[in-house]
Amino acid sequence: MIEEIRQKAKELLAASKVDMVIGYRRSGDGVSTVPAFIDSAQDVDSLVWDQNCVYNLANYLREFPGKKIGVVAKGCDARAIVVLLQENQLERENLFIIGVECGVTDISEKCAACPRTVSAICDILIKEKGRKSGAPGNEKDAYAAVEALEARRAEERLGLWREEFSRCIRCYACRQVCPMCYCPKCVADQTMPAWFSKATSLEGNFAWNVTRAFHLAGRCVDCGECERACPVGIPLRDLNKKLEKEAKELYKYEAGSSVEAKPLFASYDKDDPKDFIK
Amino acid sequence: MKKTVKKEALIALIENLMKDHEVVSPVETAGKGVFYRKIDKAKDVYLGPAFAVEPVKKFFLHPSEWICGCNKEEGTASPCPVPADDKKRVIFGVRPCEARGLVLLDKIFAPDDPAGYQDTSYIDNRSRSVIVGLACSVPDRTCFCVSLDGSPVETRGMDAVLFDMGDNFIVEILTEKGKSILGSLPGTIDAGSEKALEAAKEKTKKLVVKTVKAPDSLDASFKSDYWKKVSLSCLSCGVCTYLCPTCHCFDLVEEERKKLRCYDGCAFPDFTLETSGENPRPTKKERYRQRVFHKFDYFKKNFGENLCVGCGRCIRFCPVKIDISEVAAGAPIK
Repeated sequence: MIEEIRQKAKELLAASKVDMVIGYRRSGDGVSTVPAFIDSAQDVDSLVWDQNCVYNLANYLREFPGKKIGVVAKGCDARAIVVLLQENQLERENLFIIGVECGVTDISEKCAACPRTVSAICDILIKEKGRKSGAPGNEKDAYAAVEALEARRAEERLGLWREEFSRCIRCYACRQVCPMCYCPKCVADQTMPAWFSKATSLEGNFAWNVTRAFHLAGRCVDCGECERACPVGIPLRDLNKKLEKEAKELYKYEAGSSVEAKPLFASYDKDDPKDFIK
Repeated sequence: MKKTVKKEALIALIENLMKDHEVVSPVETAGKGVFYRKIDKAKDVYLGPAFAVEPVKKFFLHPSEWICGCNKEEGTASPCPVPADDKKRVIFGVRPCEARGLVLLDKIFAPDDPAGYQDTSYIDNRSRSVIVGLACSVPDRTCFCVSLDGSPVETRGMDAVLFDMGDNFIVEILTEKGKSILGSLPGTIDAGSEKALEAAKEKTKKLVVKTVKAPDSLDASFKSDYWKKVSLSCLSCGVCTYLCPTCHCFDLVEEERKKLRCYDGCAFPDFTLETSGENPRPTKKERYRQRVFHKFDYFKKNFGENLCVGCGRCIRFCPVKIDISEVAAGAPIK
C-alpha cells in the first residue's frame, strides 16, 4: 500500500499537479509517525503508512490557501474534508485526495469502533491488499458508551463529568487537533466580553468543554482526535457521539457524508422535530 | 543520612503527617494516568514507576492564581487581600527531573540575589513545602535527562529522596526540612544495601537511552527556514508548555474584580498578541522557535543552563509527536 501512496505522491509532485503532499513519516523513536509535508518528488520515500498514522491531516489543509495540496486521507480525514468543503473552507480543485482504506489487522485504539474505513470523497482510493470484508468496528459498538451514559441518572452523569472536567488543564489540544475548530477567534480566547472564565476552575472547564461539544453538533465526524490528544484522558468523544446520535435520530443527518448536503445548522424544514423545544 | 524503611512504615508515617500537614502525592486514576493530588488517605499514595501526567510545577506556579483584587463597594475600589495558604505541606513522589525543574524556576521567581525579582506567591509555596523525591527506576523511552546534565537518580531540589528497593525503600535525608518530616522513621542501613543501592543507581542511569545534542548557541539559526519546516506540524496547543516542568510564561486576566495569573504558552496563536493587533510572533514558525530558543539558548545566556530537564513530557504528550530533542539538535548553526 505504501508503495502505491509513494508512487502517487511522486507522480503528483513530479508533474506539478500539487505543490505539496501531506502524509505521514516515521518519527525519531522509530515507531510513532509525524505529519509529513513533502514538496519534492525526491522526498516521497520518507512517507509511511501503518496503524500509527492516526492524525487527522484534514486539520492542516486550511493553512495553505491558494496552494494545490495532495493529502493522504483515511475515512475520517475524508469526512472532515467533506465538512470543510460544505462550509466553504477549502477549494475542491486545489485538493488531490489520496484516499486510503484503513484498518485491516492492526488498528489503533481510537479506531476500534469506527465502522467507516473508506474515504467518502477521494481522487484515488488505495486499497489494503488481502482485506477481509467488513469494517473493524460496527455501528452497534459505536454507540455503546453513549447508551451506557444515557441509562444513568442525570445527577450521576453530572457527577461523572464533574470528575472528568476537574482534570481539564485548558491546553486546548482538543480544539487545536480538531479540523472543525477553525473559528478565527475562539469563544474561549475572547476577552471583551470574556464569555467564560480563563481559570482552570470547574465552572470554566465545564463551560469550555460543553460549548465546544455543542459547536460540533452535526459537524463532528468522529475522528476521535480530541480524545486521543487530551493529555488528561477526558472522554470527549462520548460528548460528541451523543450529539452525533441526536443528529442522526432526529434529522437523519450524518456529518461528512456528502459535500452537496446542506450543513445541519444551515438547513430548516417545517417538519423538523420540535419536541426538544420546551 | 540513609536508612532502609519498610513500605508500610512509610505509609503509616504519611497517615500521621496528614494530621497537621497538607500531603500531596501522585495518585493513580484508573485509565487516565497518574496525577498529583492533595490526599486524604495515605493508601492513595502512588509511588510506582509511572510518571505523573502534569509535573509538580503546578503546586508552585498555579495554573491560575489570584494575585490581587478589589472589594465591591459602591463608589470605592478598596484593595482586597489575597487569601494566603500557609499550611505546611509535604509533597511525595517528586521525580528528579521535576525537582530540578523547581531549581531552575527558583532562578526566575526566587533568585539568590535579593535585589532580583522575588515572587511572593512562588516563594511562599516553596517555603511551606517539603519535597520528598522518588528516584526513577524505569525511565520512559522519551526521557533524556542524562544528556542535559541530569540523572534519573539525582537529588537536586529535594529535601529527602526515596529509592524503591522492592520490599523496602531506602530513604535518604538531604536537608533539615527533610529531617523534620522523615527523621522519626526508624531504621539504619547496612553495607549490603548501600552497595545494592549504588548498583541500582548505575543500572537506572544506563536505562536512559535517548540523548539530545543541543548546540551551545542557536543564534546562527534564528533566520533559517528550518523553523518554518519544523513547525509545520505544530498544532498550536498548550500541551508542551503546560506539561513542561520549567515553562513559566503567564498571562494576566481580570475576572470579577480579581486579577488572575494564568498559564500561557508560546504555541498559542494569541501568545504575545498585543492590544494594537500587532503580534511580533505572528506564525507558528516564530512561536515554535521561541520555545526551542527559550529552552536551549536564551535561558542558557542568562543563567548558564538549559531550561529543559529532559523529562520527555512534551514528546510523550504532543498530539503529533514533535520531538524537541531532535529539533534542537538539528538546528542549522553553521
